[in-house]
Amino acid sequence: MFASWLIPAFIAAVLWGVVGILQKLGSNRMNASSLLAWVMVGYVLALPLFWRGSGLAALSRSDLFWGTLAGAANGLGTWALFAALERGAKASVAIPLTALYPMVTVAFAYLMLHERLGFLDWVGVMLALGAGAMLSYEPEPQGSSDNEVKFDEFPGGIKEDS
Amino acid sequence: MAQHTSKWLWFALMALFWWGVWGFLVKIGADRMNPRALQILFVVGMIPPLLLALARAKFAIQSDRRGIAYGVLNGLLATLGMLAFYAAMARGQASLVAPLTALFPLFTVIGAVLLLKEKINRIQVVGIAMAVAAVVIFAR
Repeated sequence: MFASWLIPAFIAAVLWGVVGILQKLGSNRMNASSLLAWVMVGYVLALPLFWRGSGLAALSRSDLFWGTLAGAANGLGTWALFAALERGAKASVAIPLTALYPMVTVAFAYLMLHERLGFLDWVGVMLALGAGAMLSYEPEPQGSSDNEVKFDEFPGGIKEDS
Repeated sequence: MAQHTSKWLWFALMALFWWGVWGFLVKIGADRMNPRALQILFVVGMIPPLLLALARAKFAIQSDRRGIAYGVLNGLLATLGMLAFYAAMARGQASLVAPLTALFPLFTVIGAVLLLKEKINRIQVVGIAMAVAAVVIFAR
């Protein structure tokens, strides 16, 4: 039997993978910032569905802080990638580089949550990190502007690509 | 030029860092509240920095109908993915959940090949093999 976290994690990866295809399609029709705006609309439109049963009103200030900070961190990552591409980063280099982000999560989980992994799990983590970076690599089409900001694949929704 | 490179590299590393922190904070949030509450707070927190990103682009928002449909659907599907991500984080270790979910480009690549008839490059082929090996290890 699989570990209980594996199925939802796999579902998340599949859904975000489909999101990546939608972003490819969307980025063929509009620029990155426009697509970003409409993605945000999608996020906001879904919010009323979650209000009931959220128990938000009963949460402590510290809970509210951590949850909101999670969103801010994701948004800051997106902002920083935009800024990198605007400053001349090649998407074919910057995207695979940023795909290594779980490395930071693993480090924080090790240091702050004292999570410990077995040898094989470490092998799996290393393979997954390498795979994420390699799968994100797309050579630039010849003659294209290398750092044109076009969205494609951020964790949880958005990435840039050209 | 080295100086030019270091400028974008700094921002790319910042993106890597903040997304990594995001994964860690989601673990903290998922242990404290249900996925619905976490998603609401996530969107609230995400909006200010994304508005900053849009401000840099001077809020030049295009309105191609199909583009809008792709964008909005993207946000809705990403939301569902988030809920699954939160559920996984509440049940497992962040050190395993974050790397597995970060394999999402695997499905983008497969979908792009099957649906968009895109070609796959050699590096991606190696990436697919490594991703499959990682999933097999996690699922053992």
